[in-house]
Amino acid sequence: MNIRIENKGVYSMTGNVSQAGAEAAAFHPRAAERTGSVFKRRLSRDKYLYLMLVPVIGYYVVFKYAPMVGEVIAFKDYRFVDGIWGSKWVGLKHFRMLFESSDFWKILRNTLLLNVYNLVFGFPVPIVLSLMLNEVRKEWYKRTVQNLLYVPHFISWVILGGIFISLLSPSTGVVNWILRSMGIDPIYFMASTTWWPVVYTLSSIWREAGWGTILYLAAMANIDPQLYEAAKMDGASRLRQIWHITLPGIRGTMAILLILRMGQMMDVGLEQTLVLQNSAVLEVGDVISTFVYRVGLQNANYSYTTALGLFQSAIGFILVLSVNRIIKSFGEKGLW
Amino acid sequence: MKSRRSFSAKTYAAVNYAALGLLSLFTLYPFWYEAASSFSSSRAITSGEVFLWPVEFNTDAYKRLLDDGQLLVSAKNTVLVTVVGTLLNMAMTVLAAYPLSKKRLMGRGGLLLFITFTMLFVSGMIPNFILIKTLGLINSYWSLWLPALISTYNLFVMKSFFEGLPEEIDESASIDGANDLAILAKIILPLSKPILAALSLFYAVGWWNSYFQVLLYITRSTKQTLMVKLYQMINQVDASLLNSAGGSEGASQALLTPEAIKAAAIVLSVTPILCVYPFLQRHFVKGVLIGSVKG
Repeated sequence: MNIRIENKGVYSMTGNVSQAGAEAAAFHPRAAERTGSVFKRRLSRDKYLYLMLVPVIGYYVVFKYAPMVGEVIAFKDYRFVDGIWGSKWVGLKHFRMLFESSDFWKILRNTLLLNVYNLVFGFPVPIVLSLMLNEVRKEWYKRTVQNLLYVPHFISWVILGGIFISLLSPSTGVVNWILRSMGIDPIYFMASTTWWPVVYTLSSIWREAGWGTILYLAAMANIDPQLYEAAKMDGASRLRQIWHITLPGIRGTMAILLILRMGQMMDVGLEQTLVLQNSAVLEVGDVISTFVYRVGLQNANYSYTTALGLFQSAIGFILVLSVNRIIKSFGEKGLW
Repeated sequence: MKSRRSFSAKTYAAVNYAALGLLSLFTLYPFWYEAASSFSSSRAITSGEVFLWPVEFNTDAYKRLLDDGQLLVSAKNTVLVTVVGTLLNMAMTVLAAYPLSKKRLMGRGGLLLFITFTMLFVSGMIPNFILIKTLGLINSYWSLWLPALISTYNLFVMKSFFEGLPEEIDESASIDGANDLAILAKIILPLSKPILAALSLFYAVGWWNSYFQVLLYITRSTKQTLMVKLYQMINQVDASLLNSAGGSEGASQALLTPEAIKAAAIVLSVTPILCVYPFLQRHFVKGVLIGSVKG
């Protein structure tokens, strides 16, 4: 009950999509009642609207649905010369090879682990940041800090990755310079299987934590100021106000964003991983998408890695469907 | 009692302000460090002397980058990819969002489902690559633009913005005999400037920053974009450092793109974004909030 009220501003990515399904459902029963002439009249009335949609539908057919059909090569031995339809069917051979290979379990583990790290360490950071920002009374200071924290979100992963690599370089980087001055031996962070996941997670936090505060701050702005007044009258300290008013006030936002993150457990940012990755850390840093790129495209194992990609898409699909279920069971509008 | 409370409240506020200030500095320091490195001598960087300010100030790295000319070519390519890409994105997103925002449109539910499904089930890298190759788009910028014509998420943001406009506007216009195209161009679009600005920015930043698609589809070096050039530079440094971890550090040092040059290239490619950022960031935030309010 609470969640529904508190969560006004936060359907964010979810709300828009939700209408699609609702309207899809509403459409069908009415469609049956329509007669042919009404159909024609409405078609001619809205002809320009349909005209606008022609390139749009064409785009989705060619660049979204055609590649889905192309997934059939996971069940074939694909060669460019034979084409998709000319290649030989091989059934589940590639899936069998995949599930029997140790690579598969390694990259699946890495994909899930990096996501778990991001969730456990990355998820709370924007919440803490927004709580701190929300306590700032001087508007200009708050806005300045926000704007500074947003900056990395707009910078390419190539650049962020390059900066991380040079900051952490064992010979020239400033981090190791500090370690050395404290008498600690330099650490090659980017090539250490222990440190690499830490660096990876930190880089994600650096880029997204500031940007992640926007939705929380919007939710905090919606909290009734009278609640704070009342708490002050009762002698509640600022920390107690945060605990009893602000945090409950953004609980709905937290729940939705958390669940949405769970729906993306199979995805790891490809551009981020690729730039931070190097051959020394593949043991912990190789994920599904980078594996598909390296083994599939660079070594031309098309069908084998398409099977892997299809596996990823299918699990992702199931995850999103489940997430939608969960959100709905909370009494929220679902994703669709 | 009262003064003690206000004292503790003040300390609390001061700590909070200071912590936030420190965090902002922490966020920006890496960029500052690169800028300082880019103006330092190679010797100073290799011996780890650069921390806050340039050491042995010089602009050699920038001179060498600009003399090389390749960086300029790739920067031009990036601008081309970004400008054309963003225009195509905006045209297609409007074309999709406007009709779909009309509740009276027959088949709207089915169309929305058709589009939403592509957000749920995402096809893999290889089938997409085969498609682009089959279409003969390798080494053409259309290989970048066409597959990314519409971001479905942005489409839904724009659609809900259109839905939020009062319906009476285009009802009165259609009574006056204007058709949907005219209504869109003359009435709706001028009213939609905030969302057009926000989404253009999201698209443009995306184009400016992306590199993977370029890596995948553009092989000719004269058509490479800035981010791919940077990626190659960074990867090269990384690869040789890995070799040097084995032992002969001195030998592989010579092969490296010097840190200063890498830093200068990073500074040059961040600068355009940092220059426009202060003027545009409120549109970004507005874009996120428009996307989230409706629903």
